[in-house]
Amino acid sequence: MKRFLAVTLGILTAFGGFVDIGDLVANAVVGSRFGMSLAWVVVVGIIGICVFAEMSGRIAAVSQRPVFDLVRERMGPRAGLVNLGASFFINVLTLAAEIGGAALALELVTGLNYLLWVPPVALVAWLVMWRVKFETMERVFGLAGLALVVFIVALWQLGPDWGELTTQLVRPPQDEGVPTYLYYAIALLGGAMTPYEVFFFSSGGVEERWTRRDLVTARANVFVGFPLGGVLSLTIAACAATVFMPVAAEPDSLGQMVLPVAQGLGKVGLGVVILGVFAATFGATLETALSSGYSLSQYFGWQWGKYVVPGRAARFHVTVLASVIVATALILTTIDPIKVTEYSLVFSAAALPLTYLPVLMIANDPDYMGEKVNGRFSNVLGSFYMVLLLVVAVAAIPLMIATKAGQ
Amino acid sequence: MTEPARVLHARLHLLDRQVVRESDDRLLCKVDDLEMRPGDRPYVTAILSGPLALGPRLGGLPGWLMTETDRLFRREERPGPYRIEMSLVTEIGSAVRVAGHRQDLALERWLTRNVVGRIPGAAGTEEQGDPESGARDAPEKALRVRERGEDRPDAMRLGGLLGRTVRGPSGEAAGDTVDVRLVQDGPLLAGVHHAFRAAGLLIARRRAGRLFGYERGPGLWRPSLLGALVRRMHGEIRYAEWDQIESLDDEEVRLGVPWERLRSTADL
Repeated sequence: MKRFLAVTLGILTAFGGFVDIGDLVANAVVGSRFGMSLAWVVVVGIIGICVFAEMSGRIAAVSQRPVFDLVRERMGPRAGLVNLGASFFINVLTLAAEIGGAALALELVTGLNYLLWVPPVALVAWLVMWRVKFETMERVFGLAGLALVVFIVALWQLGPDWGELTTQLVRPPQDEGVPTYLYYAIALLGGAMTPYEVFFFSSGGVEERWTRRDLVTARANVFVGFPLGGVLSLTIAACAATVFMPVAAEPDSLGQMVLPVAQGLGKVGLGVVILGVFAATFGATLETALSSGYSLSQYFGWQWGKYVVPGRAARFHVTVLASVIVATALILTTIDPIKVTEYSLVFSAAALPLTYLPVLMIANDPDYMGEKVNGRFSNVLGSFYMVLLLVVAVAAIPLMIATKAGQ
Repeated sequence: MTEPARVLHARLHLLDRQVVRESDDRLLCKVDDLEMRPGDRPYVTAILSGPLALGPRLGGLPGWLMTETDRLFRREERPGPYRIEMSLVTEIGSAVRVAGHRQDLALERWLTRNVVGRIPGAAGTEEQGDPESGARDAPEKALRVRERGEDRPDAMRLGGLLGRTVRGPSGEAAGDTVDVRLVQDGPLLAGVHHAFRAAGLLIARRRAGRLFGYERGPGLWRPSLLGALVRRMHGEIRYAEWDQIESLDDEEVRLGVPWERLRSTADL
């Protein structure tokens, strides 16, 4: 049991990347429009995030340095500041969306308008970050998020035409343009590899005081959490492809996105899936809010983290609090939370190389890593992904403009 | 002293690293810049941190905003950055560890007192774990004078040596400074350990920013694709000993010997 609980950090991190509010809906939209023809992107994303999360976890365990320390140290103050500006902006946007997402899940349960739920959700999230121990937090929300596994059960209950799903893997629908297809591919890859995942994961490793002896734990977290998150996001797309695609419907809200589960498993399933959605979005709220504190503090060298009492990390907690307040205000303007994440995903795709380049460099630096430097396998994959991320970074914003954000 | 003196590349091994307080592992600040005592053989005297150290290195509008904002809140005539004597440094690794009971920077103390400390549940505010802060007022004042002193116009900053144009003896452009090589054989600091002396400059033929550590031996060019790319962007990299430098001013570095006579970094 203890072994199992040790991987909750990976699960919480991965769910914040793969099945947070933006991805929950994006996966369903992609499934209903493109069938399974974008599944390969998710697989590419899973492998990519595993490669870099493994490196950052290993660096955190060996040298106790989290990712944004590395960004500043290797890229220098200027490029570091550019990355900080971009990441912080994306973090706060995503945070706003996640608060909205958790509130939407509560609206589904209670029928009360989600805007009424936004302030309490934000307040509770802040209280959790203010007082709850990191380990407790990661266990509670990591485990509760596992309720989303109900999608796998639902898919099996729906009894889809497996042959049809398999053919979709290699055949994109004819009525969608190539730019739109590529735009969604980038959005999915950006969602899978969002920078805040590695900020949170490596800082979480430091919070849990990983040392060289915890390298196995670090790896287990990576190789359980991220693939699980990825499989869930594929399942959501498959459910949508099964239910919505034949009738040419496109789910555009959280309420519609959970319908396949209701169809497959009835009310009980619906209850479980809403719990899962709430846990995943609330977990992502914590992940993005803490990440904004982590990245800013680590750039400037401030004391950060929940491993000291709040009064001993004042600048960090002020940053987290301010981010939550700004994000809450943003979502209370009735801006659509799902639209917000769509944009922030694409912006984050543009900022990816600046985050992953220093991770790759330092994972190769024996001054940091001793004999734990990257092997050939990690380096070949890492270099391949750097090239891929560069292409993605260059293409992301032009594609967004050209396709009017995938419409 | 039988073992050879330690060699560091300032930008690679020191600048922008985290500073950690030895006694309780508290994260204090970053090595935003290094203060050097100028002279024939300049050496590093202190770690500088805070907006007044980082701002000038950033340059441009963000740097200007950072320094000017900090100045608004300072009472000194010529405020200087947060300063930690090199003699307090106990370890230089993935972080720089310093001995003693260094205080936090002013912003942290102010926020602790006025914001975070007022929210219920912030327990353990201020320097509770610090045994020497019993009689707080007097030592704090003394510390403040020492830590956040006046700017020292006579001192040199290492950050200023980076990215400068290098010219040969007859004025022809030779390249750009990319790093400063430091050797720990300078004068004794506070009778504890030797200072890091500036032993020479690493000069890249082409202006291409940082070397990311790829100036080190070919065994460390990994991943190889990245290493090759960075090396290519910089062109040839050579090393000028301090004696081979004729003059240093705010704008450029003048070499006393032509580029061809400089050592290649491969022999370092």
